[in-house]
Amino acid sequence: MKWLIIASAGLYLFGAFRLPFFLAGLAAELTYLALRGSALGRLPLIGPHDTLIFFSTSIALMGLPFLVAQGLRRDGTVSWGVGVLAALFALLALPFRSLNMPLPPVLNTLWFELHVALAFFAYALFGIGAILGGFYLARRDRGLLDLQYRAALVGYSFFSASMVSGGIWGYYAWGTYWLWTPKELWTSILWLFYSLYLHIRLKGPAWERGVAWAGIIGFGITLFTYLGVSMLMKSSHSF
Amino acid sequence: MKRLYNFLASLDLGIWLVAGVILFLGIGSFVTREGSAINDVPLFIWLTKAPIAETWWLLVTVAVLALLALNTVLCSIESLKAKWQRGSFLARIAPQVMHLGFLLIVLAHLLSAYGGFKDGGPLPEGGSFSFPDGSRVEIVRLDARIGPMGMPLDFSATLRHATPAGERHAVFSPNHPYFYQGFGVYLKQVELFPAKMALVEIHREPGAGLALAGALFFTAANLMILWLRRGKRAEAAQ
Repeated sequence: MKWLIIASAGLYLFGAFRLPFFLAGLAAELTYLALRGSALGRLPLIGPHDTLIFFSTSIALMGLPFLVAQGLRRDGTVSWGVGVLAALFALLALPFRSLNMPLPPVLNTLWFELHVALAFFAYALFGIGAILGGFYLARRDRGLLDLQYRAALVGYSFFSASMVSGGIWGYYAWGTYWLWTPKELWTSILWLFYSLYLHIRLKGPAWERGVAWAGIIGFGITLFTYLGVSMLMKSSHSF
Repeated sequence: MKRLYNFLASLDLGIWLVAGVILFLGIGSFVTREGSAINDVPLFIWLTKAPIAETWWLLVTVAVLALLALNTVLCSIESLKAKWQRGSFLARIAPQVMHLGFLLIVLAHLLSAYGGFKDGGPLPEGGSFSFPDGSRVEIVRLDARIGPMGMPLDFSATLRHATPAGERHAVFSPNHPYFYQGFGVYLKQVELFPAKMALVEIHREPGAGLALAGALFFTAANLMILWLRRGKRAEAAQ
């Protein structure tokens, strides 16, 4: 089945500047997820392999509305940028072994699946926001910054909902809606950072470059929260 | 006095305070060591008992957060005063409801940090423990379903609780705790060999209800803002 991932990464890398190729890449990834999900009998969200694929698919899925947005419809470069990001995480998943074990009982709840899926939708939108911020800094097209804001605002909404569902899951699973672990601390840092982003934007046109940079830095914090904490810090709450 | 008020109610101060909370939480994630008791006792107890070298980042964070809470209240008041005569009601109120949600969540953390409770340990099938109100809870039966790879697929415990109002029976399992008088009894693990044993914990989170209320306010206002943005896009497209 891994050939579906390789095919989707190829389509993203070499054809994503044309929408039909981008859509074909997304279809291949969704097929892979559907096949794995039906084999496991649940959403594939455990372990680095599955989460990286889910992240990559989320980037392509969340990127779609932006690729057909007014102003970007004929812009193959942004479309390709989103495709490259999706391809990067799809390829990163390949060296990791897929875990085919049943869900531990504590993870066997809708709140957990909701928590993780919403977090990845948010991460994906933060990634798209970073790409749009980069293109804004290169081209100074105000429309790109407005799209970055939309990506960040919708991402922030998904992330807030993920924190709420995570808190409800934690309360029923662990007895507390909050644990002081590095993962939770960095989750709060990420949430606060995007709160900061939304408030910096209120400072007006003089801060436009700063806003674009904040969108890029935010994705760096996103990657540290997702991958860095799990790899570099001891936390009971990691993938 | 007016200058102090303007300073405390400024967006700039809010931005710096959020940046400060981010900075100290980031430091805290590196300072907190594995094996720290931070999650084992209510936070205020940990703050008073643990060495200052381990707690200083959280003390600074709480102080900055207190100032941020004040700044949030004052900014909301100023924003409402400034926008009261213009724009739609939803546009005026949505950001302030988000702020209210944030403040309720901060308050919830304070309540849990002060009045939280956690206890627990291993118990054999047939074993019992004393509930915080003095009543007795007995683990009558332990069940587990083990998968072909040796991993537990599911486990549960049946308890008998002798309360002053009479005997209660319940089955509790992961994600389905037993609740009584604000306390939750949680089943963390069950082992069948060499003897049937369970890891049972009792928790109380006095801030949970307030945190949920804050989260609901925040989410509702967040959806309002998204809806309002959608309206703006539709206007721009016409």
